Amino acid sequence: MAEVEVVVVAVRDIFQDEAGRKSLFSEEYKSLSALIILDKQDMAGLAVKDGDKLLAKNDAGSIVVAARASKDDAKEAHPGLAFMCSSPWYNQLVSDDSCQGSVKATLAPTAEAITAISEIQARMKS
Amino acid sequence: MAICTGCSLLCEDIVASFENGSLKHAKNLCRKGHGHFQAAFTERTRPMIDGEQVTIDKAVERAAEILKSAKSPLLYGWSNCTEEAQSEGIALAEKLGATAEATIACTTSFCEGILMERVLSGKIETCTLDDVRNYADTSIFWGSDPSSSHPRHLSRFSYYPRGEKRQRSYEEERTCIAVDVRRSPTAQLCSNYYFRLPPGGDLPFMEAILAVLDGKIPKVADKKKMIELATVLKKTEWGAIFPGPGLIYSLQDKMELFEQLLARLNEITPFKVVPMVADCNARGFNELLFEKTGHASSVSFNGGSAAYGPEHSVLAAAKKCDAVLAIGSDPLSELPIGTARALAHQPIIAIDPRRSLTTDAAKVVIPSALIGLEAGGTAVRMDGVKIKFEPVMNSELLTDEQILARIMEAV
Repeated sequence: MAEVEVVVVAVRDIFQDEAGRKSLFSEEYKSLSALIILDKQDMAGLAVKDGDKLLAKNDAGSIVVAARASKDDAKEAHPGLAFMCSSPWYNQLVSDDSCQGSVKATLAPTAEAITAISEIQARMKS
Repeated sequence: MAICTGCSLLCEDIVASFENGSLKHAKNLCRKGHGHFQAAFTERTRPMIDGEQVTIDKAVERAAEILKSAKSPLLYGWSNCTEEAQSEGIALAEKLGATAEATIACTTSFCEGILMERVLSGKIETCTLDDVRNYADTSIFWGSDPSSSHPRHLSRFSYYPRGEKRQRSYEEERTCIAVDVRRSPTAQLCSNYYFRLPPGGDLPFMEAILAVLDGKIPKVADKKKMIELATVLKKTEWGAIFPGPGLIYSLQDKMELFEQLLARLNEITPFKVVPMVADCNARGFNELLFEKTGHASSVSFNGGSAAYGPEHSVLAAAKKCDAVLAIGSDPLSELPIGTARALAHQPIIAIDPRRSLTTDAAKVVIPSALIGLEAGGTAVRMDGVKIKFEPVMNSELLTDEQILARIMEAV
């Protein structure tokens, strides 16, 4: 199965922020947080389209998120560089000794369900 | 008029009315602020011990017992509390530190605190946002994206308003520059002066600016664009830089080059710095702790003295703490998984108006009044301007300050 190595940068999004303020436990917040924005080349390399699920993993942990292609045009292509909103989902990939601003991760297509907030809560208690 | 405590701009021109437990009408709220006001009506907490609802008195009493018996408590958060509550919190940490090692830290200890400490110590020149509105003809958003994080920054202060010396505003007189790893919503507005950097590319970019300001050829691919940037910087009459997490994470402990760049720019023209702290009163906590200890975001009190350094950071404290007081933040949502897991295995006292990952994992939950909506007090805007506010909704809930005062009495 195809795998791609990326640097995931934490970003802010006003819609995700608003959703989180209303409820961290809502489907809306999950759909905007468990989402990774990828360059079109990386989408092609993984053979995924918008909405397909990806397992993102590194030494800190793993998470299943939805893929979405970046809207940047070819002139601003950014293969190997991905973006996720700061959230409990992103933080699953952040180790204590790494910078919180960006992390390295390996992505691969998966049939697993997008990680639920309840699963993240259970991991913290494990 | 209400104050919006949704971010560190603390917008003072909010008109809001409430009816039957919901926000009926609102004027001047941004999308983020609207979410913040609506939050007053959903997922409110109740006093709990071990998942069972109790009286507020019982919850406060249990919280005090946990803190009193702890050998190394961590008091974390604070960025969404009033200054009055923050002062009470620092006093509580000092009191606990008389017989234990009590670490107190705010959310900026991971990011903006390092820069804020330099601003508060006078190493970096700063200004108010009112100065920016009145005088700035160049604003640089470096690793920051106010359109997403502080949505009214550009309209109230940095780009669109007609200031005292900037009547022709964005149409003719103001230039916005974005330096970022992505074409953020703010970068889209600054399309002529958007500089895309790879992650960690800020140091080479600063070196290139310094080179071109000194008439040397910069070591970058697009030399022409860099020379254009230098021309804008040299022609600037009054400039402001708004560093965000992107720049601060990139620099980490290498702030000297940024200071060198600021010194060089200020030889040419005034350039001020306003760190883009996120939470509504993060700067307030930074100022209070700095005034008390000389450090802005994290210290340990032990035996009457305050210690600072990596061994007293949140990450270090999380690994050795035996009790956690979380207030004004949701650490289990916001911190790396390893740190969050370490905290979740300790007895957590969560003082929070609303349900969060931290309240769900807490041993003791103490509901509090929402700052700005149900609780009045003082907060410090991102630029250091103090803003006092009154509550705009009636509430019988205790404020953070009142809860902390009761815990303080009991420990």
